[in-house]
Parts: sequence; C-alpha cells; structure tokens
Amino acid sequence: MPSYGFYFAIILVYGAVDAMACLGLNFEFGVAGISNFGFIIFQAMGAYTAAVLSMPNAAHSNGGFQQYVLGWHLPWPLPWIGAAIAGGLLALPFVFLVGKRLRGDFAAVGLLVSAVLLNLLVTNYVPLFNGAAGISLVPAPFQSIWNTQGLGYQFSYGAVATILTIGVYFLVKRLTESPFGRSLRAMRDNDIVADSLGKDLRAQRTSVLILGGMIAGLSGAILVGFITLWAPSAWGYAETIVLFAAIIIGGAGNHKGAVLGAIIVPLGFEEITRYLPPVGNPELVPALEWVAIGLLIVLFLWFRPNGILPERRRILSHDKNDPATLAPPETGDLAREMSAAVPDDLSDDHSDALIKIGNVDRLNFRDLLRLGEPVNDHRVILSTNGLTKTFNGVTVVSDVTISINQGRLTGMIGPNGAGKSTTLAMLAGTLSPSSGQIFYEGRDITSLPSNKRALAGMVRTFQLASEFKKLTVLENLVSAIPHQSGDSFFGALRGKRYWGAEDRANIERAKDVLDGFGLFQYADAYAGGLSGGQRRLVEIMRALLAEPKVLLLDEPMAGVHPNLAHKIGDQLTRLCDSGMTIVMVEHELSLMDAFCDPVIVLAEGRVLAQGTMAELRLKEEVVEAYLVG
Amino acid sequence: MSVFLSSLGFGLISAAVLAIATVGFTMQFAVTNVLNLAYGSIMINSAFVSYYVNEHGVSAWVALIGGVITGAVASWLLNRFIYTPFQRRNLAPITVVIVSLGIDLIGTFGLQAIVGGGYVSFNQSQGHEYHFLGLILSGLQLIIFGICAVVLVGIHGLLKYTRLGKAMRATSANRNLARNSGVKTQFIISTTWLISGALCGLAGTVFAMNAGVFEATSAQQYIVLLLAAMFLGGPGEPYGAMFGAITIGVATEVSAAYVNPQYKLVVAFVVLLGMLTFRPFGLFGSEKTN
Repeated sequence: MPSYGFYFAIILVYGAVDAMACLGLNFEFGVAGISNFGFIIFQAMGAYTAAVLSMPNAAHSNGGFQQYVLGWHLPWPLPWIGAAIAGGLLALPFVFLVGKRLRGDFAAVGLLVSAVLLNLLVTNYVPLFNGAAGISLVPAPFQSIWNTQGLGYQFSYGAVATILTIGVYFLVKRLTESPFGRSLRAMRDNDIVADSLGKDLRAQRTSVLILGGMIAGLSGAILVGFITLWAPSAWGYAETIVLFAAIIIGGAGNHKGAVLGAIIVPLGFEEITRYLPPVGNPELVPALEWVAIGLLIVLFLWFRPNGILPERRRILSHDKNDPATLAPPETGDLAREMSAAVPDDLSDDHSDALIKIGNVDRLNFRDLLRLGEPVNDHRVILSTNGLTKTFNGVTVVSDVTISINQGRLTGMIGPNGAGKSTTLAMLAGTLSPSSGQIFYEGRDITSLPSNKRALAGMVRTFQLASEFKKLTVLENLVSAIPHQSGDSFFGALRGKRYWGAEDRANIERAKDVLDGFGLFQYADAYAGGLSGGQRRLVEIMRALLAEPKVLLLDEPMAGVHPNLAHKIGDQLTRLCDSGMTIVMVEHELSLMDAFCDPVIVLAEGRVLAQGTMAELRLKEEVVEAYLVG
Repeated sequence: MSVFLSSLGFGLISAAVLAIATVGFTMQFAVTNVLNLAYGSIMINSAFVSYYVNEHGVSAWVALIGGVITGAVASWLLNRFIYTPFQRRNLAPITVVIVSLGIDLIGTFGLQAIVGGGYVSFNQSQGHEYHFLGLILSGLQLIIFGICAVVLVGIHGLLKYTRLGKAMRATSANRNLARNSGVKTQFIISTTWLISGALCGLAGTVFAMNAGVFEATSAQQYIVLLLAAMFLGGPGEPYGAMFGAITIGVATEVSAAYVNPQYKLVVAFVVLLGMLTFRPFGLFGSEKTN
C-alpha cells in the first residue's frame, strides 16, 4: 500500500501546482483578456528564484559542480515569498508590450518570442542558473529536521500546496467578482471602448500581469521544492500552450473551469503517459502527446469554445435573498431566451420598432446622471484650433477649427470620408491629431489620454457595435459608472464589505435608467445577444452612466428603426435641456432637421459651413457638396 | 575581416531564404489578418516531403517541387478548412492565433511521430567553392541564392504588373472595399494562400538544404526570425518583409560570428520587441485608419 500513498502525494502536489498556474493564467487570459503566451517563464522565474534562495552559496558547496547566482540559504517560507515577488517583478518589462495601443495578438507573439529567447539565454548562459543541465539538489523545506522521503512529509507538502492553491482560488475570485473584475472583463471584451469610458488599460493590465506573475512564481516555487531540480527543458515555450489548452477546455473566465482543466490536461497527461509501455521510436509517445494537445485546443475551440464549465452569467437585477428586488415576472423567461439566442438572430430592424421608451420621460436625468444644477449659459465648452489628421500621407481632416456650445445638441454632417468620425475620435482622444489643438473648459487637452478625458467628462460612443458582449446589459451599464471604490486592484482586495453597498446603489441607478429606456426585461441578458437597435440604446445608456458633461455620439441612429431614432432624438434634446452638451455625427438629414442646432458641415476633411439647418440650406456650396447628393 | 566576410556570405544566403519565407508569411497576414504561427511546421513538413522524394533517387532540385506543392496545398487547406471557418464565427482575433499554435503542435509533432527524432540530410553535393569579393560560397549556396532571387523578382512582378497582384494588394488594403469594387476577394484570398504556401514550402526545403542536417522540430524557432523580419518591415507589407528579412538574416549571422552563435536569435528578438513596443506598424509604415 505505501507505494499508492506516495503516488497520491505526488498527484496532490502536481495537481495543486498545475491548478495554481491555471488560476493565474485564467485570471490574465479568461478574465482580463491578456493572451500571455509567455506565462511559463513566470513559473520558471519562481522556480529558479526559490531554488537559488534556498540553496547554499555555489562556490562553497556541492564541490562546486553547479553554478548559480545568489545561494542565500534562506529558510522556508522565505524562498517561496521571494519566488512570488520575482514572478511579479518579471511582469514589469512586459507592461510596455501589453500597454494600451498594441493589438492583443501582437502582444501575445511578443510574449511568446520572449519565452523562446529567455529559455535560450538561460540554457546558454551557465553562470546564471547552471545552463542546460539545470539546477539540482535544491533543498526541500525543512529537510534538515524532517525525512523528506517519508509519507508524512510528502502528504504534508501536498496539503500545504493544496491550501495555498485554495487561497489563490479565493483571491482571484474575490477580484473577479468585484467592480474591478467587471472592468477587467469589459477590457477583455473591447479594450478601446473600455478606455473610452475612463478605464486605465495600462494600470489594469499591469496589476493583472503582476498578480498573475506572482501566482505563477509561487507555483514554480512549490514545484521546485518538491522535485528539487529545475532545468530549461522543463519550461519550453510550448508548456504555456499546455496551460492554455487546460483553460480553454476547462472554461476560460471560470475559475472552477481552470482547476478542472488543470486536472484534465497537464495532470492527466503526465499521469496517463507515465504508464504507457514504450512503443515505436522513443519520441513517439511525447510527440503524440503534443499532437493530442494541439487537437484538443482546435476541437474545443470549434465545438465548445466556452469550455466544459463556461463563464457564469452574473444576475444583478435582483438579489436572491431579497424578494422585494425581484424583477417583473415576465422578465425571467425573456432574459433566458435572449441569452440563449445566437447574437445575429435578433439583430433585425423589426424588433427595434417594438422597443418602447416608455418611462423615460419620468426619469430625472439630472439626479440620475449626477448632472448637477443646469447652467445652460451656452458658453464655449469644447473647441479646436487647426485640427489636422494624416494617415499614410493622406490628409483626412484638415485644419478644422470649431467651437461647441454648452447645452446644445450640435450636429456634424458630411458625405462619406468627410472626416466626421475622425474628428470625433480626435475630440475623444481615441486618435491623436497630427497637428492642432483641442480645448475643453478652457484647458488644452490635446495630449490628454482618452481615458482621462472620459473621467473629465467627455464620453464618446462608437459607430460600430461596441457593447461588452459577455457582460450582461446591466453589467455594461454599471461598468461605466466612474469613481467606484471597488474599481481598483486594492479596492477590490478589500472585499465586498468595502464596496458592496455602493455597488448595490450603482446597480439600482443603472436599473432605473434601463427601465426608463424600456429595456429592463433584458437586464440580465448578455449584451451581445441584443438586436442592433437595442445595442445602440445600451451604448447610449452606458455612455450616460459615465456621467458625461460632453457626450460625443458617432452615428447613434445608424441601423436603428426611424421610430426609435426619433425617440432617441427626443431624449437627447431633453438631456441638453438638463445641462448636457452633445455632439452627434449623423447621416440622416431628417434627424439633423429635427434635433440639431447648430450643425457643422464637413467635406473632404474641411469645415464647409456651420449654422442652423435652415441657414445651411440656403448656402449653395453646402447644397452641392452634400444636401443634393 | 575574413570572419566578417564569411559570416556575411552565410548571412546573405540565410537572408534570402528568410525573405522567401517572410514574404509568404506576411502575405497571409495581409489578406486574412491571421498571424499563422503554424507556418514553421508547414515549412518543415514540406522539407520532409522533398527529402523523401529525394530519397527515391530523384534529384534534390526536382524533389524541391514536391515541397513547394506540399506547402501550397497544406496552406490552402489550412486556410480553407480551419482559419476561414473560425474567422466566420466572429470570435476574438486571438482565438485564431491560438488555433494556429495548436495546428503548429499537430504539424510539428505529428511529423515527428511519423519520421522519428533523428537528423536527416538531402542527398546532394555542396558543389564547387566559389570566391568572389572576398566571400566564399558553395555551389549549393549559390543555387539557393539564385532561386530565392528569381522568386523574389517574380513576386515583385506579380504584385506590380499583373491584375492578380493588384487585386491581392487591393484585398489586403481593404477587403470590403475591394469586394465592392468587383474584386473576387474569396478567389484572391485562396490564390494568395496557394502562392504564399508555395513560398512556405520552397523556403522550408531550401532552409533544410542550407542547414545541411535537419529534423522534425528544426523550424520551431524559425518563427522568431519570421516575426522579427515581418514587424521590421511592417506587418502585411511584402516589400517590407524583403527588407526586414535581409536585415535580420544578415544581422543574425554576422552577430553569430562575433558572439556565441547560440545567441544569434537575440538580435532578432531585440528587434522584434523594439518594433512591437515603439513602431508596431513597421519601420516605414504609419498607423492604419482602422
């Protein structure tokens, strides 16, 4: 029997290590959307650090048969703590890569290549960690006072590893289920939009990469303390793909799924192949193992892209324990139906016409959106001076100088390619101008990053669908509310007791807005499953909850049923009366006629004219450039 | 000086091979927006097909055609039956990259499972040694260089002077606009994958010939060079790829002569990370409208 005992102890340690690593990667990839193709180097960093911190000085021990740095001979648990710190520090150089602007897949290959190269360097530079041969005779914790070969020791080791993994599970869960976690998932679904709503992408990604690196580092330390050796062959870049396979199979974004994936893939494969008799050439079994992992990835992404345990849909509209907050009875079925539907099935114009913006007239925008006392002095709140944008030598926007008055609904029209959306994007900071300045409330904000502009009160919407697909409608709305105390790494760490009451109040506020716009029955449906018009409304509501002073709308009525478009227009007018300033890019002249004053006409990147629609119709060049065509 | 010149000669051959490979890689990215990380595995599979044809007594230079066809067909199938269906599902772009990593594992280790782990080499002579301008090159190297040069000129002619090439450039600049202007984009994308796949197969085979000995996982780190060369010249830019490949190819081999050759990939790595951090749209490119 004792041999089984050792076997289970080994399984326990390996399982805990794999599960911990998968939890770290799942937090990065499944929750925050960072495709860290170099994850394994963080585990390796932890393992090496723990090894050289616990080993004696290389020059004075083991007859000097291996070379390594440090050799501080520290007692447990200091090497493990050092390993976690080292894993976190290793994240810092990569922060530039995953920062704000770079495409996710480009950053991913950057990390992949880093993993290849670091492995190469450690393999060839012997003085660091003994090169290709690797480090051996790593002291196991307490080996001087405890027989490390005994069953008691091995089980205790497994127990400690398991307890730490459970701790990591609750840590990542605590962060994921907080307002900060909601922001991370929003960033995962659409980072440019999250940025435009005021989320600091670099700060979010930095904290995620550091925490993920610390978790990976700790898992490496636990592993190396048990197997007492560590070499470059243990952390080839392809090992990261194994962990990705585990998360994809288990269910990205679901922490239980990550643990399940760890048990199925890395642990399962190790243990299955251990007992296979040698067949064919010596490379055959390992090679087939890699083929199987590749096949699992492709097949799962095709047949079950959300994994065995898909990410859970968060129901926020009512509190399970409080029947008073229950949604209207018909809601449940519809919401369930919505979430089950394939996104594109619902996006047709007919369903848009059915949306009733029923209660919205009762909404007190001023209180709900924290607009403050209306000033409506129509002063210039936003202006540009010689704004110009050039792409590849083609000037798209040229010398645009405009002023936007507070409390007005300013329209911006022009033929395709006139530079309307580009101008709007420069106002919001999504694009930076090639030359010229932008002033907001008397301040030059030309170089202010877009997320800071959003926090200062300039919020934009997008021409293309930009909902956070795998957040519910209500989550989409709540995620936009600025200055949430749980919407930071440390705020989230402090737990629900710290941010819970405030979050409930925010949810209630979002529910009121949702109700006003007639979409309450979809509160708990995934936003990605709504019709085109409904998604437009969600986007506008979300922008409103970001508490803008200036709202920049990029074709908010495109693809929306005309009846609904006019209802939206009415509400925008009301918002302006409540003290908001709106700039709207739009194609539809009837909407401009009905709602916008003044209107700016752009053509070929230049301001052609501005004034009321009635004035513009009298100008020959405007009629020629746009109104007739 | 002689160290420099001999490494320069070797660097020029490597650069020419890398140029062929990178042009194919970047063309795939240009028309379908896919970073095909399985590219290296198709290269080495093509090389092995050429090798087996060569084993049956066929001249290595004729066997090369087998590798070219393998690369073309395998790449076309990969795009047609794996990447395109995944892209149609409107998943996050990273999903297709992860799929390509999975395909890379299947391709590389599937090959290893079949052929085993041993090194093989083509049955061909190195040819005479030629000296000129201080460079020393073998006949084999000169033929490889010649093939690469002819193919690169051919690609230039294709892109610049044929309807097909113009349609390919239009499709890569803006697929929807190209379609609305009457370009049969599906056909163009298929053709691009065939042509780029042929380049992949050719590059794989001459890479293996140039290396002398090779095995199933020999091309695994080649992706580092491919990515570095592509990003240096700007992703999706065939001419940028040629420039990037020549720079990276020469720089890695020349640096290998002066520092430990094990570190020669470091140059490519530094270039790649630098480009990704500071100019992800290439040395000469500028940001795209979308």
